[in-house]
Amino acid sequence: MNDAVLQAIRTRRVVRAFTQDPVGRDQLEAVLDCARHAPHAGNRRLHRYAAVTSPPLLRALRMVSPGMLQRPMAAIVVCVDWPQVHAYGISPGNPGPYIDVGTACATLLLAAHGAGLGAGPVTSFSRTAVATILGLPQGVAPELIVCLGHPAAEQPPAMRRRGGPAWQDVVQWERG
Amino acid sequence: MLEEGDALELLAYLVTAARTQLDEAAEYAPMRLLTAAGRLAEMTEPQASTGLGPLLREVRRGISETAVQAGDPEGYAEHLDALCRAVAEHLVASLDLGGARP
Repeated sequence: MNDAVLQAIRTRRVVRAFTQDPVGRDQLEAVLDCARHAPHAGNRRLHRYAAVTSPPLLRALRMVSPGMLQRPMAAIVVCVDWPQVHAYGISPGNPGPYIDVGTACATLLLAAHGAGLGAGPVTSFSRTAVATILGLPQGVAPELIVCLGHPAAEQPPAMRRRGGPAWQDVVQWERG
Repeated sequence: MLEEGDALELLAYLVTAARTQLDEAAEYAPMRLLTAAGRLAEMTEPQASTGLGPLLREVRRGISETAVQAGDPEGYAEHLDALCRAVAEHLVASLDLGGARP
């Protein structure tokens, strides 16, 4: 077993507070480069990424993203290229493009962790407002924002739920 | 009292939170409102009067941007009631309502 990979998975956390230290361009590019290694259905490239480092742009994104608790020093917005989706004849109800947003997100979060950064995903935002703020091309829709920065020493508490199941409780081995 | 940039930030938050709440878990609604209250308190505190300052600090202390009811349903309601009580007591004092109550 590859302990380093398992260790990275187990130590990654959602980071909700960052320091004011900027994210290095080399770190950001290293994270972005990893997105292409995420699994995508049929290896079709249906996603676009908007990388944001401008402080006024980051502030505007946060204003229209109720789920963005953190003040990121950089952000990667994962978008679905719907004209490309339609060009492949994928039906509107097919969840594939959204599933691949998830795999891209997971890969970006781990890449950030590996690059020495903190990261946190945000899905609670106005798609309309973010697309307008970023000037996205027609048909390219933002679906998830990965906030990046250097983790602050103090973090807000994680969301707590009572009586959450252990992994063994949610796994069915073989046929039920 | 509120700077225009901060007012705009809060306005944008409230409008977009109304939209996102249409698609999200019901438990997020109180959390979004409290987050807005906490940010308003944080924005207001630097210029607040001596009388208002303690309430603003109590509101900020009492708000967690990640707390949802499912974590502790009874405690969550009690906590919000305590915050409401603090706000009400401040209103009574600041609006000089002490003699006006029936």
